[in-house]
Amino acid sequence: MKMKKLCAILLTAGMVLSAVGCGSTKTDSTADTKSDGNATAKTEGVTDGNYGGLVAMEDANDPITYTVFVRDPGVVPAESNPVIKKIQELTGVTLKFEFLVGDLDQKLGVMIAGGDYPDVIFAGDAAPKLMDAGAFIPLEDEIPKYGNLNALYSQTMNYLTQADGHVYNMEIYGTPLNDVTEPAPPFECGLGFYVQKAVLAEAGYPEIRTVDEYFKIIEDYMAKYPEIDGVKTTGFEILADGWRNWALLNPAQNLLGAGNDGAIFVDPQTFETSFFQISDTAYEYYKKLNEEYHKGVISAETFTQNYDQYISKITTGTVLGFYDQNWNFGSAQDLLKADGKFDRTYVSVPVTNPGVKDGYLEVSNGIPTGTNGVGITVNCKNPERLLRFYDWLLQREVQDYLQWGEEGTDWYCTDDGGKALTDERRAVVYDTARKRDETGFTLWNYCPKWQGIYKADGMPCGTGESADEYLAAQSDYDKEFLEGYDMKYPAEMFSDPIVRPNYYPVWAMPLEDGSAAAVANTKITDVTMKFFPRLILAADEAEYDSIWNDFLGEFNAIDLDSYQAEIDRQIAEKMAK
Amino acid sequence: MSKFKKTLKKMMTHKMLYIMIVPCMIYTFIFSYYPLSGWIMAFQNYKPAKGYSGSKFVGLDQFMFLFEDLEFWRSVRNTLAMSLMNLVFGFIFAIVFALLLNEIKSLGFKRLTQTVSYLPHFLSWIIVCSLISNMLSTNDGAVNNLLMALGIIDKPVLWLGEQKYFWWITTFANIWKETGWNSIIYIAAIAGIDQSMYEAAELDGANRFQKMWHITLPGIRPTIVVLLIMNLGWVLNASFEVPYILGTGLLQDVSQTIDIFVLKYGMSIGNYSLATAAGIFKSVISLALVFTTNAIANKLGENSLM
Repeated sequence: MKMKKLCAILLTAGMVLSAVGCGSTKTDSTADTKSDGNATAKTEGVTDGNYGGLVAMEDANDPITYTVFVRDPGVVPAESNPVIKKIQELTGVTLKFEFLVGDLDQKLGVMIAGGDYPDVIFAGDAAPKLMDAGAFIPLEDEIPKYGNLNALYSQTMNYLTQADGHVYNMEIYGTPLNDVTEPAPPFECGLGFYVQKAVLAEAGYPEIRTVDEYFKIIEDYMAKYPEIDGVKTTGFEILADGWRNWALLNPAQNLLGAGNDGAIFVDPQTFETSFFQISDTAYEYYKKLNEEYHKGVISAETFTQNYDQYISKITTGTVLGFYDQNWNFGSAQDLLKADGKFDRTYVSVPVTNPGVKDGYLEVSNGIPTGTNGVGITVNCKNPERLLRFYDWLLQREVQDYLQWGEEGTDWYCTDDGGKALTDERRAVVYDTARKRDETGFTLWNYCPKWQGIYKADGMPCGTGESADEYLAAQSDYDKEFLEGYDMKYPAEMFSDPIVRPNYYPVWAMPLEDGSAAAVANTKITDVTMKFFPRLILAADEAEYDSIWNDFLGEFNAIDLDSYQAEIDRQIAEKMAK
Repeated sequence: MSKFKKTLKKMMTHKMLYIMIVPCMIYTFIFSYYPLSGWIMAFQNYKPAKGYSGSKFVGLDQFMFLFEDLEFWRSVRNTLAMSLMNLVFGFIFAIVFALLLNEIKSLGFKRLTQTVSYLPHFLSWIIVCSLISNMLSTNDGAVNNLLMALGIIDKPVLWLGEQKYFWWITTFANIWKETGWNSIIYIAAIAGIDQSMYEAAELDGANRFQKMWHITLPGIRPTIVVLLIMNLGWVLNASFEVPYILGTGLLQDVSQTIDIFVLKYGMSIGNYSLATAAGIFKSVISLALVFTTNAIANKLGENSLM
């Protein structure tokens, strides 16, 4: 009996303690990070200040941690990351990243409802939601106080300013208009109709300008090689998984000559808006896809697969073509490169309606989107030090260190004065896990940065902008491929890069929560996601036409005017600036 | 003694029980009743930054948005269809499974079967849907391979692309995952049936199936009724994960449930008022269903919940 009583008491005590213990582990870990930071600082003696040209911040001995929420899914860099550790030593600042798990809107909704924000949030085009909820601190008075931040943003402050007159976030992608850097010319086109290099090589390096030409070479290649390495060849893939739906919804606007605007077509000359989804181009395009489906080039499975299945299919090297953006399938392409299958990597071709100038390739217009940046939240205890940290990160030496690494081991100077990576470093960069755990990529990616070419000496900011690095990174197969087309870069296939107008892109325009425009936008996505697969899978011409009529009926039943009016208003506003 | 004093005295004799229940009542009040004050959001154009008092009052506008939208009624139809199918088939399978399990004489085998059967309950839906997606794939999926090998079909069927299969796929997924777990209650109820009734039936010459039909089933009838009432109350709640994960553009007309609709048009575009309005709609319907079923059960002379 006594034993039973004892057990009962122990069990209850255990339950109570576990409930309490769970609460305190959070504070424990931050305390740990703090003490770790102290220990590293003491043992490595940063008091002498310098490291290969990098000067330590004055309060480097006083460690502090900021929590950063990032809207992308990802993995936190390993604790052993040497670059991040070095930065921590020199500045005392640790950025603790939290990547998105699950649905972004839900996560932000919960954050807003509870008011418990991390110190920094990078929310991309979902930022307006947080701005409306008053999550961020205004920065328009802070930025001018810091030399580098001011140099980066001063000329584009009016684009970063929101409707209420405040600046809430610092753009982290692109090259805003400034005196220090200018945009680098693109080497490759980042979006559009991609096709395997092997297919183009097989067809004798032809110029591909129309949808018909595009599918012809794919059909020819498929007929010749029904299997690649024992796996059945897939002609054309269309990804339609949740928000990754542009492959299904967007192509028609590119055929009309626009860039990547989003749910509406904006005429490049007159800036008039219209809905490309119901245009004749769309009718013809999906009819062509329907034909290709019946020829076996497109398989019905493409509509039911999810993103992971799509990526793994591409990695087999058996997908001949798809419409996509390079960052979306980049991981698959890196794997193909790591496997040495350079002939199975992809290049974008300028496909448009006959006679229409292609609008795929762009060079930055220096106008920030106003939302694609980091914001410091009202919960941040020491924003001043954080801004000083960002300012410190923007030093030329630090940026070089983060992007290029150490001279000798990671990069070297080329004969014509440019910079290129060593082979070892390139191997690291192609390997996603090593890139994350051995380089400063994550830190650099989610903080304000310099991108482009430095005006002072013409040197590239990063590896992506270095012509020498690009050429040095080409495999033998790629060099042969470029020679086949007699061009230096794949971007030469396209017309000259377009400087995008001020309003670009439509998809980054914030729509007020719950407004009629937002509802119309969601409905447009819903209706097109529903009907386009049906159109492509139609049994014959008669069925195609009847489905098209149903589609027109439902599409026109949406309150399109409210969406169009809102977009027109925002375009006019941005163009007037 | 007044009626009130009598009740009070009765309570005092059992005061220990009442004291034990107090924390539970506080918990229920804080998490289930107090948040009902948030229902005011459904009648406003709620913006978190402005709070309840600052947001504009719009009356029934949010509800009208719901009721005027064809997509919403389609979602209601889908939700009801999938939930009712889950309910009916879930019941049948769980009870049949419990009955069959009851017939097993070997105790070891019985225990083993029971444990294995409720293991899928602990799997996350992501895993189960991943498995289903793989098995139904036209690209070397197990189901297509089997059917082709047996000669029933000559080329792979795109199961997840045809609207007519979708509701059956979700029902099957639910049954596979939940039958074992749901049958636990019935097995417990069956264990509570008086054994002497079986012996009496044996004497009267009843075979196995007649025993099941005339003794076991009536014996667990109260359990069945109670569970039926509870599940009918949840009928609009069920089925979010499977349609969300397996649903695609092709299937939208049959796979979009109320929760997914609310996610798209409420949460994702920050319209919390709409989400609350849909929530109220669901609560009202569910309450109505529970009370109706309860009344019917009462009329039929069964035990009822209330």
